[in-house]
Amino acid sequence: MTKIGFPSALITALRLMLGVLFIMSGYEKLMDLKFFALIIAEYQILPTFLISAIALLFSLCELLCGTMLLIDLFSRFSSSVMLCMMVIFIAAMINNVMRGLDHDCGCFKFLSQWYGLKEEIGIVPVVRDILFFILLLPIASFGSNRVPWKKDQK
Amino acid sequence: MPLHIKSGKPLRRKLFTTVIILLSSISPSLSQLHAAASVALAKEESGELDLSATKALFDTHSACFVDARSEYVYYKSHITGAISLSDSRFEEQFPDFRHNKAIETLIVVYCTEPSCGMARHVAKKLMKNGYRNVRVFSGGLIEWAHAGFPMEG
Repeated sequence: MTKIGFPSALITALRLMLGVLFIMSGYEKLMDLKFFALIIAEYQILPTFLISAIALLFSLCELLCGTMLLIDLFSRFSSSVMLCMMVIFIAAMINNVMRGLDHDCGCFKFLSQWYGLKEEIGIVPVVRDILFFILLLPIASFGSNRVPWKKDQK
Repeated sequence: MPLHIKSGKPLRRKLFTTVIILLSSISPSLSQLHAAASVALAKEESGELDLSATKALFDTHSACFVDARSEYVYYKSHITGAISLSDSRFEEQFPDFRHNKAIETLIVVYCTEPSCGMARHVAKKLMKNGYRNVRVFSGGLIEWAHAGFPMEG
């Protein structure tokens, strides 16, 4: 049975683009962790005692997975972690939109500052996260799971 | 004699009110003043404060300022010394507030602008929880910031 391939150049492009995006997003959140924690609190999903820990975990995950995607270290694993996070973000946003809550999504503040994209929860951030989910899928499915400095790996 | 004094006061007040009403009906400028005063009085009675009254309370440190907006917005900027008690997470934040603020404290609640209802919601919740001395600064943070009054965050 022949394995369906995916252009490696496209995988690399996606990896680099998403890697940089998640590094910037994670760094931004880590730099003002309290602000991110307060936004998570506004989702009114988690108990108060978990909020700071989850804020730290999510920011670190974004930063680490972004770095791993950028240097192609366990790309399949890191993109799978980011896929899970995207599912959580999308579900949380849809849940709050349905409850009629109105607050910042805490996604990519720098994108809203640079391009004027909407940061409040709603259809735009949900569609944006779905797009990132779709872009992560090829890396999780066809990307490499290698360590870049070990040359003899497949 | 004391009876005479007691009966004289309402009579004098009635006379004064009649004169004011007569004057305000004659002069258009006075009637405008009268209308403005009535609006201010109605606002005051409903527990709403205007910018100058709020600033006076701020300057004399005679009230506790409460920010009814979301905590993350409060974190970025708020009236100097204000406490966060958001409409969205009131139940989580209130126990701490109740612990620190006595029931008779004069509280001034504000949100972003006159059209945002969060300040009125929080004021109602506070009154429901026993706080009787609650006022709303209807102009909100936008009016406060435009006036160049102290902010932090």
